[in-house]
Amino acid sequence: MSSFGYLLDGFAVALTARNLLLCFAGCLWGTAVGVLPGLGPLAGMALLLPLTFKLDPTGAVIMLAGIFNGAMYGGSTTSILMRIPGEAASVVTCLDGYEMAKKGRAGAALTIAALGSFVGGTFSIIGLMAIGPVLADAMLTVGPAAEFVLMLTALIVVSAVSNSPPVKTLTMIVVGLALGMVGLDPLTAWPRFTFGSLDMTDGINFVALSIGLFGVSEILLTLDEKIPVVPKAPRWRDLPPTREEFRQATPAVLRGSVIGFLFGLVPGVSHIISTFVSYAVEKKISKTPEAFGTGAVAGVAGPETANNATTGASMIPLMVLGIPAIPATAILLSALLIHGVQPGPLMMSEHPQVFWGLIASLYLGNIILVVLNLPLVSIFVTLLRTPMGILAPLVLTVCLIGVYSVKASPLDLVVVAVSGVAGYLLRKFAYDVAPLLLAFVLADRLELSFRRALTISDGDYAIFVQGPAVKVFLAILLVVGVLQAAAVWLGYRTRTS
Amino acid sequence: MTVKKIAGVLAVLGAFVVPAHAQDYPTKPVTLIVPSPPGGGTDIFAREIAELVSPILGQKVIVDNRAGGGGSVGTTLITAAQPDGYTLGFVWNSPLTTTPHSLQVAYTPDSYAAVMSIGFSSYVLCAAPDFPADNAQQLVEQLKANPGKFTYGNDGVGGTMQLAAERVFAKLGVKVRPVPFGGAGETARNFLGGHVTFYGGSLPPILPHVAAGKAKCLLLTSAAKNASLPQASGLSDIGLGKEETVLWWGLIAPAKTPPAVLLKLEAAFSKAASSAKFKDVMAKQGATQRVIDSQAMGALIRAELAALGEVAKAAGIQKKAQ
Repeated sequence: MSSFGYLLDGFAVALTARNLLLCFAGCLWGTAVGVLPGLGPLAGMALLLPLTFKLDPTGAVIMLAGIFNGAMYGGSTTSILMRIPGEAASVVTCLDGYEMAKKGRAGAALTIAALGSFVGGTFSIIGLMAIGPVLADAMLTVGPAAEFVLMLTALIVVSAVSNSPPVKTLTMIVVGLALGMVGLDPLTAWPRFTFGSLDMTDGINFVALSIGLFGVSEILLTLDEKIPVVPKAPRWRDLPPTREEFRQATPAVLRGSVIGFLFGLVPGVSHIISTFVSYAVEKKISKTPEAFGTGAVAGVAGPETANNATTGASMIPLMVLGIPAIPATAILLSALLIHGVQPGPLMMSEHPQVFWGLIASLYLGNIILVVLNLPLVSIFVTLLRTPMGILAPLVLTVCLIGVYSVKASPLDLVVVAVSGVAGYLLRKFAYDVAPLLLAFVLADRLELSFRRALTISDGDYAIFVQGPAVKVFLAILLVVGVLQAAAVWLGYRTRTS
Repeated sequence: MTVKKIAGVLAVLGAFVVPAHAQDYPTKPVTLIVPSPPGGGTDIFAREIAELVSPILGQKVIVDNRAGGGGSVGTTLITAAQPDGYTLGFVWNSPLTTTPHSLQVAYTPDSYAAVMSIGFSSYVLCAAPDFPADNAQQLVEQLKANPGKFTYGNDGVGGTMQLAAERVFAKLGVKVRPVPFGGAGETARNFLGGHVTFYGGSLPPILPHVAAGKAKCLLLTSAAKNASLPQASGLSDIGLGKEETVLWWGLIAPAKTPPAVLLKLEAAFSKAASSAKFKDVMAKQGATQRVIDSQAMGALIRAELAALGEVAKAAGIQKKAQ
C-alpha cells in the first residue's frame, strides 16, 4: 500500500468520533493554556499527560498533539494582543504582531497567524509523508559540532532581526548568553552563579524572563505616557485582513513553510531558531524593511507559518528515529513509551495505526484550530475594549499566577519583577530585548554542543570543519556572516527611510 | 452550657487530638512524593502502584511530582516530612546512591527508611554493526587494546548510567571517554549518526535500532542477561557480576516513621508490586519485576552508595555545595 493509502487509513482512525473528540478537546485545552500567560505548550501537555495513561496510544498521542498545536496558537494570541510570548517560538510574533494590534489590526494579525499556521502545518505534513523518512537519516549526520555551527549562524541571523545598532544587539546577545549560564554546568553538573540557592540550580526560568522582558516592560512603558498608545479593539468590519494584507502575507507564508519544515528536521534547537530565521529572511528581502518592527504583516505571517511547519517536521525525527527533536515531542515520546510503543525505524510497520493516525490527526487538528480560532478572534479582540487601567493589573496578576503555577517557585516571581524593570530600562535606551531572549534560550545548547564536540574529538578543534553537515552549515555561516559584516561595514543598515 | 454539651464538645475535640494508632493506619489519604516530572518511568510506576495499593490500604494514594536537582529536591522533602506514614516517597536509585556524590544533599541513608523495591532496569552498551567485536569478550579485548580511543554517550556526568559504566571500566582497567548527553534519546541520535562509538543508556530507546540492524548490543550493566537482548552479555558472563549497577525503584519513608506502619506499608506495596498487572506495566517500560524487602533494599542502598562513591572519586567527580 502506498503512503497515500496508509494516510487514508490514518484518517479512518482519526475520524472516529472518539478520536475526533480527543483531538478537539486537546486543541481547546491547548488554546486555553496557550492564552494563559505562563503556561506554554510544555506545561499544557505535561499537565494532561497523566490523563492520557488511561487512553489507547493513538488517542493519547492525538490528544497531546492537539494540545501542542493549540498552545502554539494560543501563545501567538497573547503575543499579538499583549506582547507576552508564551514560549520561545512566539517571541518574534511580539515584534510586529503587537505593533499591528496597536494600529487596530489585531483581528487581521490573529487571522493571518491562524491561516499561516494552517498552511505551514499542512505543508509540513505533506513533506512528512513525501520526503520525511529519507531526510531523517541524513539529519543524523548533524552531530554536536554541526549543531554548534548552526546555532552560531542563528545568533548572527538574530543581529539581522534586531532594529537596534549592532553594538547594542551584540551587548544583548552577550547578556543573554551570560544569563543562560546560570544553573548547573550541563556537562559536570557544577552549580554556576547560583549564589547557593537550590532554586537557581535549575537556571533562570525562560517563561518568567520573557514575561518580564516583554510583557511587564510593555506595561511599564505605557505608564510613561500621558496618552499611551495601546492596542485598540478594531471595529467589526475591520476584523478580517484587507486584500493588501493578504497580498503581503501570502509569499511570506510560503517561504515560512519551507524554512520551518527544513529547520524542523534538524534536532535540538529548530523550534527556537526557525521563527527568527523566517523573520530575518522576510526583513532582508522586503522592499520596505523599515516597516519591520512597526507592524509589518510579513513579520507576523512568516514566523507564525514557520513555527507550525517546524512542529509538523519535528514529528519526522520522532516517528522515524524515535528521537525527540524538540521538548514538546519529548512529551509525545513519553506518552508513546507509557503505552509500550517505541517509535523508531520499525514504527511504521509495527504500529501503522498510531503513526498514520497521528499524522491524520495533526492535519485535522490544524483544521479544527482554524475553525475554533477564527470565531474566537472576535472574542479575543474584545478583550482590548477593557480600559488599560483595568487590563494592565489584570494581565500582571494572571502572569504572576501563571508563572508561579509552573514550578511553585518564588524565585520565578522575582525574575518576572526584575526582568520587567530591566526590560523597561533597556527599551528606554533603545536596546532590543529579543536578541537577549534568543541568546538566552540558545546559551546552554550552544555551550553543550561546543564542549561535547571537543570531548568527542579529544580537544581537537578540527572537528568544527569536518563532516558533511558541518561543512554545509559552515558555508551558510560564511555567507550570512560576510553579508552581515559587509552590511555593517558599509553603514548599509536596513533603516534607509 | 450544660454538662452534656461540654462533654459533646470535648468528644469532638478528642477525635482530633488523640493520635491515630498504627493498627488504624491509614485513616486519611497518603501522599506519594515522586522526585521526577510526570511522564518518565519513575512516574509511571509510581502512579500505577499508587492505584494498585489504594484498595489494599483502603485509602487513596496521591502522587505528587516534585522534580529538580537530580531528584534531590523531592527526596529532601520526603526525608523532612512528618514521619506519620502519610507522606512517602517513590524514588529511583539515583537521588539515593548517585546524586550524593556530585551534589551536597541534605540527607543520608539514616534520614529515611527503605520500605521495599519493585524491580530494576539495566543499562546497556551497544556498538555500530561494523564494530570489530561481536561479544562481550571481544569488546573487552578491543577496549584494552585501544585505551582512550573510543567514546561512549551517557545520560550525564555523575549520573547513574555513567557511574555504572565507569564502575565496570575501572575493574577492567580500560579507559573509554564519556560524552554526556541529555538522555538516552539524544545519546541514541548521536550514536546512530556515528558521533560516538558506543551507545550507553537504557534498553527501550535502542531496541528498535537493534531490530533494524543498526546497532549491536554487547554488554549489560546487570549481572544477568536480559530476555529482550539475548546477544548482550550480563556482567556475570565476564566475571564481574558483583559490579552490577542498574536503575531500580523503591519506596522510602521518613526515618522516624513507626515500625508498625512501615511493616504495613511493606506488605501492602509488596503485594501490589508482585501482581501480574504491575509486572506487565514494568515490562512495557523494559524493566524487570524484582520485589525485594526493606532489609535487602537498605543493604543495597548502603553498598551501592559506597561502591559508586569510589567510582565517582576515581572518575574525578567532585561534590559541590549548592
